[in-house]
Amino acid sequence: MKNYCVKDLMVPISEYATVYEHATLYESVLALEKSQEQFQQSRYAHRAILVLDKNKKVIGRLSQMDFLRALEPRDDNLDQIRKFKQFGFSRKAVALQQEEYLKNSPPILDVYSKAAKLKVTDLMQRPTEGEYVDEKTSIDMALHQLTTGSNLSLLVSRGADIVGVLRLADVFAAVFHAMKDSESKPIDGATR
Amino acid sequence: MKEIEKLYDRIIQRVNINLRELEFDVNPLVDKLVPTQQMTKFYAFYGITPHHPLNLVFKHANLSGSYFLGKVRVTSSLLYKSDIRGDELKKNGDLFQYQEFNIPVDQDEEITIDDSFLIKTLVHNFSHDPETLETFFIRDTVSTHYANIHGSPSDGCYLGPFSTVDLTTMRDCVIGAYSYVQAGEISHLKIEPGTVWVRKPGDFNFMYRYPTGQLNTYIYFPGGSPPQGVFMDFVEDRKEAFQRVFNVVNIENSIPVPPNTSLDRFAVIKPKTKIGENVLVAQRAFLQNSVLGRGANAQENCYIINSKLEGNNVTAHGAKIIEADMGKNVFVGFNSFLRGRPNARLTIGQDSIIMPHTIIDTRNPLSIPSGHLVWGLILEAKDLETNSMSLKAFSKIDTRVCRGSMLFEGSGGSFVSSFQERIHHILEANGAFYDGNLNRGHAQRNQNISFNTIQPYPKGDKEGLYPTIIIQP
Repeated sequence: MKNYCVKDLMVPISEYATVYEHATLYESVLALEKSQEQFQQSRYAHRAILVLDKNKKVIGRLSQMDFLRALEPRDDNLDQIRKFKQFGFSRKAVALQQEEYLKNSPPILDVYSKAAKLKVTDLMQRPTEGEYVDEKTSIDMALHQLTTGSNLSLLVSRGADIVGVLRLADVFAAVFHAMKDSESKPIDGATR
Repeated sequence: MKEIEKLYDRIIQRVNINLRELEFDVNPLVDKLVPTQQMTKFYAFYGITPHHPLNLVFKHANLSGSYFLGKVRVTSSLLYKSDIRGDELKKNGDLFQYQEFNIPVDQDEEITIDDSFLIKTLVHNFSHDPETLETFFIRDTVSTHYANIHGSPSDGCYLGPFSTVDLTTMRDCVIGAYSYVQAGEISHLKIEPGTVWVRKPGDFNFMYRYPTGQLNTYIYFPGGSPPQGVFMDFVEDRKEAFQRVFNVVNIENSIPVPPNTSLDRFAVIKPKTKIGENVLVAQRAFLQNSVLGRGANAQENCYIINSKLEGNNVTAHGAKIIEADMGKNVFVGFNSFLRGRPNARLTIGQDSIIMPHTIIDTRNPLSIPSGHLVWGLILEAKDLETNSMSLKAFSKIDTRVCRGSMLFEGSGGSFVSSFQERIHHILEANGAFYDGNLNRGHAQRNQNISFNTIQPYPKGDKEGLYPTIIIQP
């Protein structure tokens, strides 16, 4: 893996799903669908959308999790219940309380219709410092950065520009193939 | 600018620095909440008894209308009508048990209050922090009307009106109005108003949240003016009765007091009240047309009106009981508000536990069976379905249960036995089990307290500040 660098494995930004900052959640999901259709069938499908400002600079990323979170019912009480974990409750307990609350609440109508109109900038995650990686970085280094930050992808930079996305799935595939190659080679003349 | 105003600014700045991570500014909440002239108006007082250490040090502080007992040091602080009750502090030679440790106490414990502003706050019990056995500290803290700091060292915190922090060390926390926290140790947490949280890590975790809209009827504190709602109206309506007991120097008991009972001279006793043996009535308690059976107690800021307590009842700090009949051994937790009506009495069966910060406000007769645990907001009988459970059933919980706005996780048996043990300890400490020889408690030790008063500078730059005062035997 030492001979690989990030730009060898990254998905160029031109092949990635992108939307501008004024887009709605629905427009973002349509962009993701279109991008998935165009992307090489042999590779893993995209699972996120990059959000660009008017200068085409990446300002955020909308993941599938962000999308699903947008569909969750929202009110102050639910927000408080979701914070129960910081008071030492398990996830199961928080889910139980949430279910009990929703059971006793009036049904939320038009949840999809309302969510579709939400602005993508209200739902996206802004990338943090540790989520950028230079295109010339070795894959070993990038692998370390992915695992340390528990990231599903990194934004690949060339100078001040974002030129691609390094995805965990692509790094995993490359590492896995390298391991297979290594294990299938004879060691000390022995055959496997 | 006068010294007292500079002191206020200094305290607010220190608290805000501690709470900057939570982006919480205490100034809009407490600015002008207590006008400076009010802080000059009232004397402070302290108690002397043969049973409690006397070691009081006051420096660069305003103490208006506040009460002190035991070993207390107050520096650069504003204390307005607060009770600093050091009659349960640890003593030199005590052994403090914490988990598997038995830690010796090297010197008498002291309550130290630095750079803090406490408004009508009760400070009681002892520090439960094994790291600060000899010091129950309260620093860089603002607390508002009828808050209870009970065995809870505090550093850089804000406590809303009618909130209670119990047996918990807190650092850089905001405790919302009418919230109750008993969690051992907390830091950098913002507790929303109306949260009742009792946690023993690894053992149990109880959480109840009041519906915001309904809580606002009882207590609402947007800042910029005094707290509002039923609780404040209730207390303000009875304020005048306290003026007499604070204005008169020598006051006689208005009712017969058995020899093993303590009736504080700063309590208000209205006609037709009867109190039995081994009863403790603390300062700022209000009793009217009520019966307190043997071993019952009414702690600071309690109101018991047109009610009957059969005996061995704990009415914890700030609890209110109106038009109610309480069986034996009923425990009513901190700041609970239990209100029946003249033709719709509230009845609570024996051995029941009313959790701290419970509101029962019924317009129809309501009866709670014996041996029940009750929590949260109960306005009518059907609310008991989600807000009560028999102690027996609760004890059987071993995973998690959710009822309405209550979430419990862990061992119900452990939770119930912890409460029952603590109630027994409170009764014991209060002298409910005194037999004329053994088990002497506050009801016996707090009799015949002498009270001395101290006053601030009446005019000038130091108006409202008390001179440095050291009071020792």
